[in-house]
Amino acid sequence: MTKLDNQLVAAEREEVAHGIRWLLAAPLITERSQPETFDLVRRRRDPIRQWFDYYCGWTLTVEPRLGYARLVKVRTVTDPTRPARRLRSGRTPFDRRRYALLCVVAAELLAVPVTTIGLLADRVGRATAADDVVPNFDTAIRGERMAFVDVLRLLELYGAVEVVDGTTEAFVDSAEAKVLYRIDATLLLRLLAAPVGASQLAVPVDEVALRFDELLAAVSRERRYGLASGAHDETASHSEVQRNLWLRHSVFRRLVDDPVLYFDDLSADERAYLASPTGRQLLRRAADQAGFVLEERAEGVLLVDTDGIATDTRFPDDAGTAKVAALLLLETLTRPSTMEQLEIEASALLDRFPRWAKTYRDDDGPRQLASDALAVLAEFGLAHQEAGLIRPLPAAARYAVRDARTTGSGETTS
Amino acid sequence: MDPIRVPPEMFRFTSGDRAGLDVSILHAFGEANERLETALSLDDVRAWLRSIGWLEAIEDDELTGRLKQLRDWNLVDVVQNHSENYRTAGEYERRNLQYSLTRQGEAAFAGVVHAMNVLAATGALQTAVLDAIADRLGDLVRELDRGTNRRIFTALLELEAHLEALRGNTKQFNGELQRLLRADGANLTTFHEVKASTVAYLQEFLTNLEHRAHTIAVRIQQVEDHGVGLMQLRALTGADLPQLTTSDPGPAWLEHRRAKWAGLRAWFLPVDGSQPRVEHLHIVARKAIITLLQVLDRITESRRRTSSAVSDFRELARWFTVVPAQDDLHRLWSTVFGLSSARHAHLAHPDPELISSTSAWAEAPPVEVSPLLRTSGRTERFSRTGKVRDVAAVRAARAEQARAERAELEAAWDMLDTGGPVRLSSFGTLDHSVFERLLDLLGRALGAAPGRGGGRRSTTSDGRIEIVLRLPRDGSTAVLTTPRGQFRGPDYDVEIRTAGQRPVRRTAGGRP
Repeated sequence: MTKLDNQLVAAEREEVAHGIRWLLAAPLITERSQPETFDLVRRRRDPIRQWFDYYCGWTLTVEPRLGYARLVKVRTVTDPTRPARRLRSGRTPFDRRRYALLCVVAAELLAVPVTTIGLLADRVGRATAADDVVPNFDTAIRGERMAFVDVLRLLELYGAVEVVDGTTEAFVDSAEAKVLYRIDATLLLRLLAAPVGASQLAVPVDEVALRFDELLAAVSRERRYGLASGAHDETASHSEVQRNLWLRHSVFRRLVDDPVLYFDDLSADERAYLASPTGRQLLRRAADQAGFVLEERAEGVLLVDTDGIATDTRFPDDAGTAKVAALLLLETLTRPSTMEQLEIEASALLDRFPRWAKTYRDDDGPRQLASDALAVLAEFGLAHQEAGLIRPLPAAARYAVRDARTTGSGETTS
Repeated sequence: MDPIRVPPEMFRFTSGDRAGLDVSILHAFGEANERLETALSLDDVRAWLRSIGWLEAIEDDELTGRLKQLRDWNLVDVVQNHSENYRTAGEYERRNLQYSLTRQGEAAFAGVVHAMNVLAATGALQTAVLDAIADRLGDLVRELDRGTNRRIFTALLELEAHLEALRGNTKQFNGELQRLLRADGANLTTFHEVKASTVAYLQEFLTNLEHRAHTIAVRIQQVEDHGVGLMQLRALTGADLPQLTTSDPGPAWLEHRRAKWAGLRAWFLPVDGSQPRVEHLHIVARKAIITLLQVLDRITESRRRTSSAVSDFRELARWFTVVPAQDDLHRLWSTVFGLSSARHAHLAHPDPELISSTSAWAEAPPVEVSPLLRTSGRTERFSRTGKVRDVAAVRAARAEQARAERAELEAAWDMLDTGGPVRLSSFGTLDHSVFERLLDLLGRALGAAPGRGGGRRSTTSDGRIEIVLRLPRDGSTAVLTTPRGQFRGPDYDVEIRTAGQRPVRRTAGGRP
């Protein structure tokens, strides 16, 4: 029955590939918010778990009865463009206050199985009053209540708290709002992905800012790669096995999580690993199993997700003026440019598209548009700003106009 | 008990800005009354005040003012003493007027004193009290046989006092216990110790509780056999009550005794055969032990697991507060929580394998970006997702083959369409290939979680074929025959539907 097997295998492969990419986009999938996705991950959990474990060293926990799947993404993140976002129309990134409140709220929620929004706010108020670093939480201020609600709504999305009665949003208008929550303590614990707890490091608070990068590395350090956890430390004491494991995981973690992996950003060991026959073979197999199209070039590697599943945002896309402008700016950004040059290009674009967003229509418009577009390019690893100079990165050539390399007639292309 | 009505001004002296003085004045009267001095002059009041520790100087005016106020509240009464000679009006006022507590004042002060005692007291469950109750009941039985009325009276009063102590202590202890169960936070170590010792205490109390309760119940029965009414009447005679008012205090006294006796019975031997209260005590104590042990477990458990997460979260809150730049906030979030999405390009080359992996990006042909996006800033809606169709075109042959296989498979699935629920056994004899497909569908259905009605529902990955499976009530076995052998299994209720609205066909060996 090879034909049937073929079909079944094809179906399974497709499901596994989808499951992997869905988890990459949303490392915590709950049955409540995405029932179909969760069901697929639940059914195909074994091959998906193996894929993540083998290539990235990431643990996937699926709780069929509790209704969630959590991929614990461990890595020291250098990309600041993927923040927590407010669940409102603007999807504004969380600010300092919201992040801090999120942590305080999570700590307070761990103590109780059920609570109301008022009691929780009291507890948070008392906790912040007892803490001389975190500013006091005051429910009398509307902005504070708003931040508090944003935090709770994010926790609701993750399933860590469940609204039994009432709506969280009501708290914005009145601190008297009645909302009853049930708390999932295990899920709250699972929200933390870093293998080393922040409190274990026992860093004095005034040193946190100074040693920030070191701290990020410290909280994401895993013991299984040997004492110094391999990274770029040649003197570290670790076995050959640990070293290979570390190489594979560190390369694949970047590859599956970031838009482009440039060889220049890798250590010599990592480069050698990717160039080795084993490395190449694994690369192909991993991409294939996850349903990515592998793109290998002289300067680096990238995984293309043609379905656009495993990504928080797309490029090129017409979702915003900045993205369209970014695409068009790429045409002129064939060599390093200054911000001023980009602004000139941006204002030319504004002339060319008179119907573009009003946001960019005032005097400061071109500057704003240029910097927003640049941010988009940076998000996708296509450009890099350094010392006032904007440098296109190799992968930017993917989006070049087919025949525009020779003339400056890009603007008349139709 | 009748509803309690407190006279409106009875406790006014405990509040207000002069409450301290007012309470002290009543205290002074109380102390004096113990020395059998009931009527005090202004100077006496002052002296007594000093003796109970009120050391502030008080002007005469102020003191008379407060006494007048207390009089208005009906707590203090004033009488005149005409037996002395007075030279001035001031002296008359100082020495002629004598103050004494009214009945209400006495009660009010006693109430306050009692309240303070309750506040300071700690409840306890004392086995000694239970023993004392049993002993006094034994005394009563003996005295009823051949004792005097006076001894019956004292034994009865002692019994009542012990019962009162039991009630009071139990109430208080239970209150403290429930507060203890509610309390969280505090110092974990002391909390731990208090709870552990409470558990030990409760366990000791529970030992032999039943035995003691039984002894008491038996003795109550013995007293009842002698006649409670008779016993109470004899006690009344023994009490030798003074007649201070016009009415006879006897009936009221007897009424009181009856109420107390009823209370005793309710505790140990209820008349209506309901559960004695002492058993409630048992239940409460047991429950408290269990709850306390659970709380203890949870504390130990949470110390091991959650507390570190709690301190991690607290520490992170501090980090988020002091981290310098906006970008660092987001990096901290992504690193510690690992909840951020991956990010990838979605446009690929039509045939990626045509391009060498050693060529530079600049040399390789670019991916196809919608021309419309470049010219007008819009993407064609229909091509939003750059589908892999191009790849399929490159491998047309394989795709064609896959389609053919698919068509064949679908034909087989169509054949399996039951057109409604049938028993698995009704499939009877099947071609082996069709049987394999059926088996695949069954496998999918059994892999799904059972729904509300107990049915398992599943679809193929493309959603075209739906299968519903229910376990038969009669538990019979189905036998399916294929050219290669026989299949046995539970005779499920099976319903297979194709979504394509095709004409329903019957299965090979299915129903007509």
